[in-house]
Amino acid sequence: MITVYKKNNIPKDKKIIKLNDVYFNTKTSDLLDSRAEDIISVIDKTKIINKYTIASQFDGTNLNIDKLSTGCKTALNILYNPEVIFDIAECGDNALDVIYSFDVGSVYCDYPMISINMAGVRTYEEDDFRVIKDYDDLKEWWMNEN
Amino acid sequence: MKIKPIILDTIQTKHTNYYVDIKVDSNVILITGDSGEGKSAVFSFLQELSTEDNRIKCFNYIDYNKRYKNSIKTSKGKLFVIDNADILLDDNIRKYIATDTQNQYILIGRNPTGLFLTQDNIYELVSSYNNGKVIFTLKKAF
Repeated sequence: MITVYKKNNIPKDKKIIKLNDVYFNTKTSDLLDSRAEDIISVIDKTKIINKYTIASQFDGTNLNIDKLSTGCKTALNILYNPEVIFDIAECGDNALDVIYSFDVGSVYCDYPMISINMAGVRTYEEDDFRVIKDYDDLKEWWMNEN
Repeated sequence: MKIKPIILDTIQTKHTNYYVDIKVDSNVILITGDSGEGKSAVFSFLQELSTEDNRIKCFNYIDYNKRYKNSIKTSKGKLFVIDNADILLDDNIRKYIATDTQNQYILIGRNPTGLFLTQDNIYELVSSYNNGKVIFTLKKAF
């Protein structure tokens, strides 16, 4: 399950990536393998033509992989860089559904961004981890600033 | 808060076979929706349009470390199109946008906090494909 971090509760040795497009374009794009195919198919409803090329979901033309949506790039960043914390503020519901299904990954947001289909996450607060399996419990934890 | 658009209520442009035909009825709108629906593509087409129409100013994550907030606060008579709004707009600039009567805003993001928007100000992108043309329009989200 993924690990969720919230405002004012980030380990000192971790940094948050807010600009998911930049991180994907400069780092994650080189790491993609077959695992990316399903994610790109589900979130952006398109397919990979080759390592750096996708088909446009709108007219089928070939596009550079930098044209993936920010939500899709965020999901891929999280999957391929589980040691890094990524801001999920820009993710649509379809991207959140995918992210919350990952076995590993670290996410952050200033406010609750939760998949309605979540099965469970690990939350981090004051050097402690806790498993939360209920949507409302996670929302309450996220909104509690203490 | 609902004020009629003070700069443009209709925006039309094309980029090769991609057509944008959007109509808005509020001065500040938020375009939201699932990932991968073409919001950032439409932003890039409007950014291209801004080279011909100097009323339009566009910002996205590329401007993250630039003085876009200052540009917003010192402008008059502009239509600001802001992609990645959830990352670019902090509480202060949201408050400014919500009460700005000199400029118009099209915001692309998910978080309406601080913008004093009603459901009527929130739109989703719709795309259609016809005879090789991809056409982007807007519909109310609610």
